[in-house]
Amino acid sequence: MTGPLIDIRAVTKTYVSGSVETPVLHGVDLRVERGDFVSIMGQSGSGKSTLMNILGCLDQATGGTYLLDGADTRTLDRAALADIRNRTIGFVFQSFNLIKRMSVAENVALPLIYAGVGRARAQARALVELERVGLGDFARRTPNQLSGGQQQRVAIARALVTDPPLLLADEPTGNLDTHTSDDIMNSFGHLNRERGITIVLVTHEADVAAYSRRLVRLKDGLVLYDGPAAEGLHQPAPAMVAP
Amino acid sequence: MNPIQVLVESFRSMAANRLRTALTMLGIVIGIASVVLLLAIGDSMQRFINKQLQMLGTNLVYVMPGGDRTAAQRAREGKVAVLTQDDAEALNGLDSLTGAAPVLQGNFKISAGNENLSGSVMGVTPAMFAIRNWKVDGGTLFGEADVRAAARLVVIGQKVADQFFYRADPLGRYLRIENVSFQVVGVLAGEGRQSDGTDLADQILVPITAASAYLVKSPFPQNVHYIVAQGRPDVQMGEAVEDMKEVLRNQHRIRVDDPDDFRMQNLNTIAETANKISAGVALLLGLIGAISLLVGGIGIMNIMLVSVTERTREIGIRMAIGARPNDVLLQFLAEAVVICLVGGMVGIAIAAGGAALITTFADFEVYLTLAGVLVACGFATAVGVFFGFYPARRASRLLPVDCLRYE
Repeated sequence: MTGPLIDIRAVTKTYVSGSVETPVLHGVDLRVERGDFVSIMGQSGSGKSTLMNILGCLDQATGGTYLLDGADTRTLDRAALADIRNRTIGFVFQSFNLIKRMSVAENVALPLIYAGVGRARAQARALVELERVGLGDFARRTPNQLSGGQQQRVAIARALVTDPPLLLADEPTGNLDTHTSDDIMNSFGHLNRERGITIVLVTHEADVAAYSRRLVRLKDGLVLYDGPAAEGLHQPAPAMVAP
Repeated sequence: MNPIQVLVESFRSMAANRLRTALTMLGIVIGIASVVLLLAIGDSMQRFINKQLQMLGTNLVYVMPGGDRTAAQRAREGKVAVLTQDDAEALNGLDSLTGAAPVLQGNFKISAGNENLSGSVMGVTPAMFAIRNWKVDGGTLFGEADVRAAARLVVIGQKVADQFFYRADPLGRYLRIENVSFQVVGVLAGEGRQSDGTDLADQILVPITAASAYLVKSPFPQNVHYIVAQGRPDVQMGEAVEDMKEVLRNQHRIRVDDPDDFRMQNLNTIAETANKISAGVALLLGLIGAISLLVGGIGIMNIMLVSVTERTREIGIRMAIGARPNDVLLQFLAEAVVICLVGGMVGIAIAAGGAALITTFADFEVYLTLAGVLVACGFATAVGVFFGFYPARRASRLLPVDCLRYE
């Protein structure tokens, strides 16, 4: 399919809690082409996580349009959104979000199970994906028996097991030390270059954002900067405090 | 997600919380065990009562002369209520009856050799043998021709045979009743109490005509003391009774407005009442079981709600990687149903053990029926679905973003 993978226009998000309305996104426009590697940066409260949740179809926008791979996500029901999360999007979280009572291989196979793949085939596919992240020998362990970096690689394997075109990562290195962070970011770069996977990640670390090709800065629910990562990181942003 | 996967997931999550699963299951185990056992007891009780009633002869109707009014009243009106052999003959022709047998009965002096006793003698027709299913051990029963001829023949019970002809073959020998000799032609098979309170082994049966001529010596040889009729098994007793009433009223030329001059006694009404009582008791027992099952079901719901809350984050993760709302619903529902079904199986096993114990020690046969077991399984599933649905739907309606934020 032609056209951008992600096409967001004038997206707003307002959280309503009782009678209190809290606007978070004030009209965000963002287009991400296939094969791009985008970092989203911003202070806490800038709306980057909210944007990420909307991109990942975990949450619905209040206003505006969001076309993902040409499909208007705001018209889809919850089951259809689940299918999109299953096939089109791979999600990597800051806190890994592995299911602790399942083995590593079962965690990785779970998206395939929800896709309707048989147990044996799903397990085989999961093992292949674990080999790719270098954890083939850890398939039978439980997540608790792995280090943070290893857990995050399991999460990456799980995100990619259904071969989605888009990988979304919300602070993927937030819980990892610098060395492990570099490892993870290197594998993101590798996935982007070798498998052509479109990657969008949220971070507040310039070191992490430096791995990406493009940088989007958010401030108070609006896009402040959208351009090449190399330039955007050197440009001193107003009210932006370097971590 | 395919059904096998759903089952695997439920067992896995049950195994992850063994103690909690076991305790939740206990409620269902007790519930199902009590439902199954109490229903089985109720059922067995009904079966027992039915069997007892059948032995009494619930399809027999006794017709006796005289209506609801007393003999004195009837005498004042100048009417004498009687039943005759003709009445019995007319009843015998009814389609709704297998037969009707007239009976003359009385206490007479009976002797043979040195033995001299007083006993009850029944004058009957062969119809009586057919209705009561009386058979002989040795010899023959007397037939229609013997009745027509007022033959002095007698069929006796085993005890009578032992009393008068101890260790000797009674067949062909003579029994003197009221100083009239009756030749023994048959000995009745079997013994035991009959519905009219007599013992088969104590019977002394002669042709009704002979009884009338030599024993009762009534000026009205056609009169009988009562008539026993048997309804066809495939006909409702109520219908048969109505038919009999009609025939007898015709026979006696009773006007439409006048009351009956005969009474009918039927064990069927007793059977119906007994059935109603035992059905009521069975229902009560089932209800008690159902209440404990209900309590178990509420326990399931309670635990499932806790489980949903506890696993909110897991639900979020599953949704984030592609679980549809229905997948989540099914997962929790399956868990509730599996707990109930497994609990149900254990409950059935316990009930079967309980039934075996009662049968062994209480001398009262209780056994589970296949239908009862299937109903219990269905019940267990229904409880799981019913009480699991609300928590499961609650889980499926959660928003992924909220679940992932939940700590």
